[in-house]
Amino acid sequence: MNTSDSEADSYNERSALVECESPTIPSYNQDHDMSLPQETDTKRRRPVSSGLDEPGPVERERASTPDGEEEELTLKYGAKHVIMLFIPVTLCMVVVVATIKSVSFYTEKTSQRLIYTPFEEDPNSVGQRLLYSLLNTMVMISVIVVMTIILVVLYKYRCYKFIHGWLILSSLMLLFWFSFMYLGEVFKTYNVAMDYPTLAMIIWNFGVVGMICIHWKGPLRLQQAYLIVISALMALIFIKYLPEWSAWVILGAISIYDLIAVLCPKGPLRMLVETAQERNEPIFPALIYSSAMVWMVGMADSSNPDSADERLRNEGGALAQEGVESEDDAAQGGRRRCSAEEDLEEDRGVKLGLGDFIFYSVLVGKAAATGGDWNTTLACFVAILIGLCLTLLLLAIFKKALPALPISITFGLVFYFSTDNLVRPFMDSLAAHQYYI
Amino acid sequence: MNLERIPNEEKLSLSRRYYLGGFAFLPFLWLVNVLWFFREAFLKPTYTEQPQIKSYVKKSALGLIVWVAVLTTWITIFQHFRAQWGEVGDYLSFTIPLGTA
Repeated sequence: MNTSDSEADSYNERSALVECESPTIPSYNQDHDMSLPQETDTKRRRPVSSGLDEPGPVERERASTPDGEEEELTLKYGAKHVIMLFIPVTLCMVVVVATIKSVSFYTEKTSQRLIYTPFEEDPNSVGQRLLYSLLNTMVMISVIVVMTIILVVLYKYRCYKFIHGWLILSSLMLLFWFSFMYLGEVFKTYNVAMDYPTLAMIIWNFGVVGMICIHWKGPLRLQQAYLIVISALMALIFIKYLPEWSAWVILGAISIYDLIAVLCPKGPLRMLVETAQERNEPIFPALIYSSAMVWMVGMADSSNPDSADERLRNEGGALAQEGVESEDDAAQGGRRRCSAEEDLEEDRGVKLGLGDFIFYSVLVGKAAATGGDWNTTLACFVAILIGLCLTLLLLAIFKKALPALPISITFGLVFYFSTDNLVRPFMDSLAAHQYYI
Repeated sequence: MNLERIPNEEKLSLSRRYYLGGFAFLPFLWLVNVLWFFREAFLKPTYTEQPQIKSYVKKSALGLIVWVAVLTTWITIFQHFRAQWGEVGDYLSFTIPLGTA
């Protein structure tokens, strides 16, 4: 089957990791003495994971000013973010791996291919296979680049209706068509009789409530769940329809592309970020997963309005390609309303693009499909989580939109190939000789 | 989105829209309405719009129970009698299990 172009593009826009807003308030505040910004600098550089087990400096902070409490909160919230992103990424991967292992449809190779990978790999000749997988990758990446550039151009020229329509069409397809296919295959695997009326009700309800939650307003947890589900569905489609070697090369190529597009000054995704910053508006609902957390920050000093405004501007900037519109509107609305009061409710979280979910799951899913046993799958899973941790660490240091794919995918690929070729034969021969370590 | 941060009128309008939307064969929407607004309607201290939200939640719950009953009945009938219905059963079936009559 051929997926539409909107799919290729929409998953691309999703590859970025964005911090919701800057966590350290005192450094923007001129009223504080110089010692505080220095301490905040060192605090920021300290890895978020160790923030919890260093009571000394934290105590020092606590004793100094009321903002010392915010420092503590900053550290704790940094570590919390890592956990809050681990859970959805893990869930997505679990769904994909469970489906791959149980429903054989997604591992059956068909002669159908996506139009993005037109060259068929011939299993007999290594050289030809390699060449064709490279060609497939070039086709796919060029399609992605073209789509991204079109998107940036559309955004620059304010064709919002077109972009929104495109996004809605693409999520419609995901929520209705792909989930219909998925359900059909699951029922066939478990040999369950299903009638059309009940199926129609299920798909209709799932799809419509999904559209409402993602594009309009809905409970946060439900929205997160839907985003995880559609990422998993998309990853399954990729696992099924990408040829073997092409998939691995595409994974590598797209993480390089992600790196270039987000970090280079003329990269399309970076231009998107900057345009959004200039216009100070959130972009593109339904392309980003947000792990929002709310807590009350009490601020009693008179610089409240200044720091609130600063934070508003920073949030507008840090929202990079995507934004959960309803949440951000509510967040900004809430902040404007409450800025004069002493208690300030803030919504902080890290946003991870859906493309990242998709490609992480593709990697782990392919490891589960072709890797042979659970060692490889688990190794890839751990590798991706380590990469995500490191990326979040870098995010805490640099505080701007970062590509989330490169580190994780690199670790994942390294772990996959080394586990498959080194660890697995080792474990097998250990088991064969009954030698337990 | 967080219900804490929106004003009461918006909560009411949101609950009403979810209630009205559920009439389009969407019991799931009613379920979401009940679960999401349950705390607002029943466990929060009273405010002006609360009685109306409460009524929407109750009506959504009622509609949900009706739909669940209807669907359960239909599914039971279908699963039990599918094989006996012969051609009609096959026509209605999306997936037919293998290896059974």
